[in-house]
Amino acid sequence: MIHRLITRMIILGILWLGLSVLKWESLSSQLLWQALIFTAIVLLGCLMEQILHYQGDPYILPVVQAIMALGLVFVVRINPNVALHQFWWANIGQALFYAVLWAMHDYRKLGRFRYLWGLLAVVLLLVTLMFGSEEGGATSSFKFLGIGIQPEEFVKLALLLFMATYLEENEELLRVGTVQWGRFSLPDWRTLGPFIIIVAFVLGILAAQKSLGTALVFYMLFVLMLYVVTERALYLGISLPIFLLTGTMAYMLFRHVRVRVEVWMNPWLDPTGGGYQIAQSLFAISGGKILGTGLGNGIGASTVPVAISDFVFSVIAEELGFAGAMAVLVLFLIVVMRAFAVSLKAKDRFGQILAAGIGILLGTETLIILAGVTKLLPLTGIPLPWVSYGGSSLIVHFILLGVLLNISNATAVATHSLKNKGREYAT
Amino acid sequence: MRGVRRVALGIAFSFFILSLGLVYWQVVQADTLLKDKANRRLILMESRVTRGGIFDRNGEIIAQTQTSKGKKVRVYPKGEIFEPLLGYSTVKLASSGLEANLADWLLGIKKVSPTQAVQQLFALPRQGDDVVLTLDSRLQSIAYNALNGKMGAVVALDPRTGEVLAMVSQPSFNPTNLEANWADIISREKDRPLEQRYFSLFPPGSTMKVVTSAAIFRSGINTTDLYDCQGSTMINGQIISEQNDKSHGWVNYNMALADSCNTYFATFGVQAGDKNFLVAAKGFGFGQKIPFEFNIPMSSISKATPIPAKLATNLLAASTFGQGEVLVTPFHMALITAGIANHGVIMTPHLVERILDPTQNVIFEQKPQPWLTALSKEEAVKITSGMVTAVNDGTAAPGAIPNVQVAAKTGSAEPGGNVPTHGWYIAFAPADAPRIAIAVIVEHGGTGGGSAAPIARQIIQAAMSQKEGVK
Repeated sequence: MIHRLITRMIILGILWLGLSVLKWESLSSQLLWQALIFTAIVLLGCLMEQILHYQGDPYILPVVQAIMALGLVFVVRINPNVALHQFWWANIGQALFYAVLWAMHDYRKLGRFRYLWGLLAVVLLLVTLMFGSEEGGATSSFKFLGIGIQPEEFVKLALLLFMATYLEENEELLRVGTVQWGRFSLPDWRTLGPFIIIVAFVLGILAAQKSLGTALVFYMLFVLMLYVVTERALYLGISLPIFLLTGTMAYMLFRHVRVRVEVWMNPWLDPTGGGYQIAQSLFAISGGKILGTGLGNGIGASTVPVAISDFVFSVIAEELGFAGAMAVLVLFLIVVMRAFAVSLKAKDRFGQILAAGIGILLGTETLIILAGVTKLLPLTGIPLPWVSYGGSSLIVHFILLGVLLNISNATAVATHSLKNKGREYAT
Repeated sequence: MRGVRRVALGIAFSFFILSLGLVYWQVVQADTLLKDKANRRLILMESRVTRGGIFDRNGEIIAQTQTSKGKKVRVYPKGEIFEPLLGYSTVKLASSGLEANLADWLLGIKKVSPTQAVQQLFALPRQGDDVVLTLDSRLQSIAYNALNGKMGAVVALDPRTGEVLAMVSQPSFNPTNLEANWADIISREKDRPLEQRYFSLFPPGSTMKVVTSAAIFRSGINTTDLYDCQGSTMINGQIISEQNDKSHGWVNYNMALADSCNTYFATFGVQAGDKNFLVAAKGFGFGQKIPFEFNIPMSSISKATPIPAKLATNLLAASTFGQGEVLVTPFHMALITAGIANHGVIMTPHLVERILDPTQNVIFEQKPQPWLTALSKEEAVKITSGMVTAVNDGTAAPGAIPNVQVAAKTGSAEPGGNVPTHGWYIAFAPADAPRIAIAVIVEHGGTGGGSAAPIARQIIQAAMSQKEGVK
């Protein structure tokens, strides 16, 4: 209990210290109320864990809450006017997280809908493509009741569930294969067909929306999950030429892909034109040096484009320096690694696959955007989970977190309880 | 489960690569990117920092940022007197001079201790550090006024410590309302008010003889022997003549320096040989980078290399009295003078006395450090006695001051072409325990005694009237 409380106090310390450094007077009272609600949820959640005997992974939630607190501080820092929304979504997200964690009795039921999840993903994307509005070059947002929604975030959830269900069901066939093709045995079309079709649909629609970053995340998710389940390097081997081929095709066919790559190769050629975003991002990151300029002192918050979403990390790296940027990196690494740990401990195959999928999703999302803003990869704008401004991303990632910890808790309960309440599944 | 472990390992490794990327940008490339011209970080940063003040050694304000109605204005209460040394700092014109060279102090971004760094994280707007210079406003303004209307430079140092007491270059400009007057300032092509003339290269003329003296002493030539100056002499087929072809008659070393006898120095300088001459010149700092807050062009003996391995006899003969291809900056000439005054040891020159952080704690203090040992004590005494004779009974007489013994040497350097010579005057005082060493150049001023000596005299007089030890 004491341990739990201390970690929460540290997290709340980050939030309130950050907000106080950013000057009380300029913050609206509504924002402070939301911050108080956030505090209350964190503390109540902590109490609830105690009362309901939460036995799952003890590190993931505090670490995510720390990332969340840091994210909130930086959203307030970059644009106090929209920070209120972010607080709303953070609070709703946490509530949803606890709902998923405590209300879902058996996560295996999620697997019941099978292809419906895949269908949902495709439909969501199709609707966005047809009725969505264009924003920042990509047709990926959708107005619903006056609230902008990013359906591709929800597609992450649907696809993850589809993948886990499908892979669990067809694991043996995918692993062994039934059709001999040269030296390799591949699964037959009936097994692979639905998967390929949905994957092709999803990636195709995302490419049509010009959501290259999200497409890349999904591609990595598909490939790595397939590898995790089948443990066949063959799938990795096949995916690489496919990736290179589609990449080259996209490069030759679409101008915006070409521009991205050229800017990535040499942003200094035209730092005021095409290279502006990445050049400003790198100026901001390098401006932080070791200890950073201090919260609120950086220049990047006003010079880096879309600092509040895609480039939020550049601002963090400037104001908190290398030390702070590494801290953020390590926090994300902890979450991803603990997700894999949950996967390794889970008692049933579905839980294992789902937890691993969540780990892969979080890991690739973080890597792709952070490698993008540091010029290790061509820049493809996606939000940094729990940090970037955006309600859809927050909600979806909190739900994913709920599923992850639900699996973790169920595993622990099954291991500890003497009476088997039907939770001890064959592995 | 092998698959999960491998993917986990792969992701962890990718995070590691990512952290290397951060090291690259935030540590390796940080300074390079900060200087990139597309990076407006420093300019924007500057607008939030209140630039520190610049003060003279007595605490008089030279430059200060004042805030009125939320607008920051840089004021220069001394006007033109400290220009172009002080420079300027505006958003449009960027910065120059001390304002540029000391920018990292003035903006408070140099030498930040970890605790200060942490304090700064939470303090904004920030206050830069204050810089206290070694300059003395009184001497500076006397030097400025004495040189007014002429083109030239004055550098005064404390020979014991290397502290720069005055640094004037005329013509100068007014740093107030600079942006409005900028077009006018840069259009003054003939007087070039932005040029820092104490860092410009000139032929040293007869002031070079103090350097040649060292070579003559070291070659074992008896300096008490008399030499018959006949107004001109022939060395290796080249005629060396005195100024106005005046014959000095029988002179020894002391009298030759006092009368600035070219033929004496050419004859014995050549006799001493190029080796001795070049070693002596190098010992005085020719061909060497002067450690200072500014970049100073190297003084040189020949055009091809600052200190050549050999010097042809004809060129050596001309070099002994500061013609030929010898070029020197007035600042370096002041250092040479200071070296003679300080028994042969040239102290490292410096302009910054100390740096004070916004709470007025001293965070940096310059300690006197020797730079070069140009002469032995005996050699320094000999040259000093020659320079004393020059003031009492020689060409440097216009620089004499009642009650204080000045040691000095004049120079009239031919810049080439049919134009009046540059007037040089180097001096230190009091001769037995020097507190000030000075170099004055008046471009195309004629003789050193006529044009430069009166300026030096005023400055030395003012310095001597100040009580020693009182700042």
